[in-house]
Amino acid sequence: MYSKILAAVNEHLNSEISARYALKLAKACGAKFSLCFIAEKGLSQSDFNRAEDAMKRLFIEAEKADIQAESITETGEPVKEIEKIVRHEKINIVFASTRREDVEKRFYAGTIARRLSLNLPCSVALVRVVHMGRIHPRKILVPLKARIDHVRERAYFTAKMAECCDSKVFIFHATKPITKFFHGEVHLTPLEWGKRLPDDIAGFMRYLEKYSIEHEGRLSPGRAGRSITTEAAAKRFDLVIMGSSKRSLLSSIFKGNPVEVVLRETLCDLIILNPRHEDK
Amino acid sequence: MKINSLSIDEVFQSLVTSADGLSEEEAKRRLAEFGYNEIEEIKKRPLIFKFLSQLTHFLAILLWVAALFSFLSEYIHPGEGMLTLGFAIVGVIFINAIFAFIQEYRVEKALAAMKKLLPFYVRVLRNGKEAEISAREVVPGDVVTLMEGDKVPADIRIMETNEIKVNNAPLTGESEPVGITKEPFSGEIINSPNIAFAGTMVVSGSAKGVIFSTGMRTEFGRIAHLTGTVTPGTSPLQKEITRITRVVTAIAGTTGLLFFSIGYLIGRTFWENFLFAIGIILANVPEGLLPTVTLSLAMGSQRMAKRKALIKNLTSVETLGSVSVICTDKTGTLTQNKMEVKKVAELCDNAPEKVQGVSLFHIALLCNNTKEVEGNLKGEPTEVALYKAAVDSIGHIENKRLKEFPFDSDRKRMSIINSMRDTTYVLAKGAPESILQISSRCFKDKDIVPFNEAMKEKSVELYHSLMDQGLRVLAFAYKEISSELEFGREEAERDLIFMGFIGLEDPPRPEVAEAIQKCREAGIRIIMITGDGSRTAAAIAKEIGLIKEKATIVEGAEFLKMSDAELHSVLSNEEIIFSRMTPKHKLRVVNILKEQGERVAVTGDGVNDAPALKRADIGISMGTGTDVAKEAADMILLDDNFATIVNAIEEGRAIFENIKKFITYIFAHLTAEAVPYILFILARIPLPLTVMQILAIDLGTETTPALGLGVEPPEATIMKQPPRPRGKGLIDRKVLFNGYIFLGLIGTIGVLFAYFFVLNKGGWKWGVELPIDAALVHQASTATFLGIVMMQIGNVFACRTQTESVFKIGIFGNRLILWGILAEILLSAFIIYHPWGNKIFSTAPVPLSVWLLLIPFMLLLFFAEEARKFFVRRKGLSTKP
Repeated sequence: MYSKILAAVNEHLNSEISARYALKLAKACGAKFSLCFIAEKGLSQSDFNRAEDAMKRLFIEAEKADIQAESITETGEPVKEIEKIVRHEKINIVFASTRREDVEKRFYAGTIARRLSLNLPCSVALVRVVHMGRIHPRKILVPLKARIDHVRERAYFTAKMAECCDSKVFIFHATKPITKFFHGEVHLTPLEWGKRLPDDIAGFMRYLEKYSIEHEGRLSPGRAGRSITTEAAAKRFDLVIMGSSKRSLLSSIFKGNPVEVVLRETLCDLIILNPRHEDK
Repeated sequence: MKINSLSIDEVFQSLVTSADGLSEEEAKRRLAEFGYNEIEEIKKRPLIFKFLSQLTHFLAILLWVAALFSFLSEYIHPGEGMLTLGFAIVGVIFINAIFAFIQEYRVEKALAAMKKLLPFYVRVLRNGKEAEISAREVVPGDVVTLMEGDKVPADIRIMETNEIKVNNAPLTGESEPVGITKEPFSGEIINSPNIAFAGTMVVSGSAKGVIFSTGMRTEFGRIAHLTGTVTPGTSPLQKEITRITRVVTAIAGTTGLLFFSIGYLIGRTFWENFLFAIGIILANVPEGLLPTVTLSLAMGSQRMAKRKALIKNLTSVETLGSVSVICTDKTGTLTQNKMEVKKVAELCDNAPEKVQGVSLFHIALLCNNTKEVEGNLKGEPTEVALYKAAVDSIGHIENKRLKEFPFDSDRKRMSIINSMRDTTYVLAKGAPESILQISSRCFKDKDIVPFNEAMKEKSVELYHSLMDQGLRVLAFAYKEISSELEFGREEAERDLIFMGFIGLEDPPRPEVAEAIQKCREAGIRIIMITGDGSRTAAAIAKEIGLIKEKATIVEGAEFLKMSDAELHSVLSNEEIIFSRMTPKHKLRVVNILKEQGERVAVTGDGVNDAPALKRADIGISMGTGTDVAKEAADMILLDDNFATIVNAIEEGRAIFENIKKFITYIFAHLTAEAVPYILFILARIPLPLTVMQILAIDLGTETTPALGLGVEPPEATIMKQPPRPRGKGLIDRKVLFNGYIFLGLIGTIGVLFAYFFVLNKGGWKWGVELPIDAALVHQASTATFLGIVMMQIGNVFACRTQTESVFKIGIFGNRLILWGILAEILLSAFIIYHPWGNKIFSTAPVPLSVWLLLIPFMLLLFFAEEARKFFVRRKGLSTKP
């Protein structure tokens, strides 16, 4: 599915760390690995050098890992230039990092990360680097909604990330509590919740089984965003992989946006995947 | 692979830094990316929204609609008193909202207490030079220097160490300082000996290291995050109040609408019907319920404080009563935390001291960090006990400590190099399995012989037999070395001469066995979570009656390997002990128990207990615990005693039963308020009760006696019943029948009798319509008002017990009820006889004959309830085997 992987690097440390995730995925998929640095207008020489140094270090890491790699340096507007590269090189997935200042913006609207996720014609993995001590994630938390699109690609991405780090995958679905008007909240045991596993999640798990990835699943009642961050913190997960938000601005204002909550509160690294490969 | 498993060069490469630290520019950049190194408050729903939600639930909406129509009515038909009514209804909404808010309100201070554990300043290398900067400005990649007395600012991978020892108590609960190394370690970060964790403190030595995690991303931040985010969910009482509110709203709304429609059909005007509907709704709404519940909980918490259980938020008082599982620590809670040496067991009977001048007590005395300060012994309880026993046995010894290899949870031992009587020794003590592992020789008939398999087996049997007696067992070994040698740890802890074991006892608290028996009878499971070994834990548990023969014992290592499903299955067992556990595992145990539907109480005293304390239905902190644990807990045990938890549960159960009693009491008068109203509309009798009089009863006269019901002592059988099941709430069919129908109808008969007595005496004839402001109407409605008040006096005595006869507990045994009745009578007298009361509540004085007339009905109600209880008791007895 992924034969060409591109990682966008800049002068910030987190872009280098997120590119390492791309490097791992390239290794697992046997894909060609491309690094790109788009120098925006007005970039200082020291920032330019910093980005170049990061590219060099990553290139060396790729060589050591025996991964076919190439680097591209361009000047211009990052989103447009990366889009050009994606189209020209027929890239399957792009890794880009989100920054703290992106996260602080409501719904990270207007950020480069957001624009890349929306505009690129390929899949995009936005990486939020939070914890620098967990280099190879051994426990990956995958929160899923009841209805998910691109199940196959999501499962493939998760499986390959787990495979390259020899990680165990935990699937988590935060659902609405069951309530009755006069009775209030109805308590269900995990076994009873398990019987209510949505079909798409069951399908996702079947794919993981196909890829021979060790996994566990759990449904829990509660608000999605907070439940995910609490689950990740309580069980010391190293990485969270979740889908990008499909909620409209209005819906996000009234109902909240779980992706935004996780972006802000997560204590471990987070990858937000926006898949584009059609399920066949 | 994690940062702890990398070599120093790989660490630098991974964090893109160097031994010279970061440049100022890069540090600024990273600060912008990773944020300040501080504990952040978790974003929560603002208090104002929490308060507003109390104004917008079902009942509140119903009352808002009623108030709105009252104001509208005043606008269309001014001067009919609807404005006052509208304001009164709004007042009721706010009173209920305030009391509900008081119940839920809790100041969160746990994170503030955690913040105090981080330092203000720290020494870092910036641009290759050491600088002191604010600790909140350090970033991943910074190289920092740690010195004795420093608080560790962030999670740091140590790269150079000079005998550094840190106290990890905030993270692990272990007060014993641990040494930190620089060598890579392949396990989990949290267990890694090459990491200094944020929030811990350097006890001695110094070190240099590189920061890899700051602020909320540190282990300390993780605890803060969990402490700030996990919640026990809505308390059982809050759920019940919501449920009652919905039931009452449905009853009130439906009857209001029903009688509005009937009134319309029989030809009453819209406004007459509307006034009537509002009256019916208000008559059905127990306006005084929430204030009474809140005050009752407050009084309950005061009573608990007298029994050494300090309650921090009101609803916990009732939640305690529903607890079905208690997860408790052992040391200090079930036991007295007074270690003393009970047994000394040597492999060889001949004292080896005669051979090499070292006895088991020499090691116990010297390989020990207890300090004598102004005649008092300061140190970890086990070490203090060893020190005392050794001094008693051999006195003080002149010696010099040359080196120490501190205790760590991985090796489970400590060792020292010591010079004594011109000889240098390695002295070691630790967990038996750990010391046996590094011993290769032992004594046999004064000779040093190889420690063969048979002897090792004999040693294992020996220490198992000590553990089976409930003793904490430590093993001791030593060897003589040449003083010139510079020994490293591995070399020192090799090829030792095994000496023997010392068994220490931490005696159980005397009152614990009885408390555990009480829990058994009350169907409450107790799960012991201890850092002790399985055998010691099991022996103590048997001694105090916690387990019988076949208990499930899960060791920490086994626990970590278990999946949630496996743990679910283990936790379904009746008798469980978790041994060799650390506080950080408690949260998982609590989570799984809660998933099983249990109501969980958990004890804890350390910083890392805080998330479990927050998650449990009842978090119980020890009075001697850390500030963080106390802030995270719902209840603080002032005496650290397990028996106090059981007393508090008994009190909690009593409060639940008492709330049930005053719900019956409150429901009973709702019928007496509603039926005259219904007759008013259907039988066209003069107005028997005004809306203001209803409010005077609900929020005034009946509140004080109801408070008296809230302090009834627990009934004798309260701890002989299993915890109430999840579905069983404050109101059920029995409560509704007893309140609305049985007591309600008896009370209604008395009330109507007084009402018609006054009308009849005033010359009213059936079918004659009287103006609403006629003196006779005022007097008749006053008789109804007084009737309800008098019936409630009989009712409050009747409701004091549920099945027992009130005579058995002493009819005048509750002083608060007597004071409450006095207050009720005085307030009623004011309303009936004072001109202000007459004006506000549209009342008129009634003669003494009305009071006297009501007394037989009051007694009838009381004795009818006594008869019902008698039949219930008889039925209960006859169904018993």
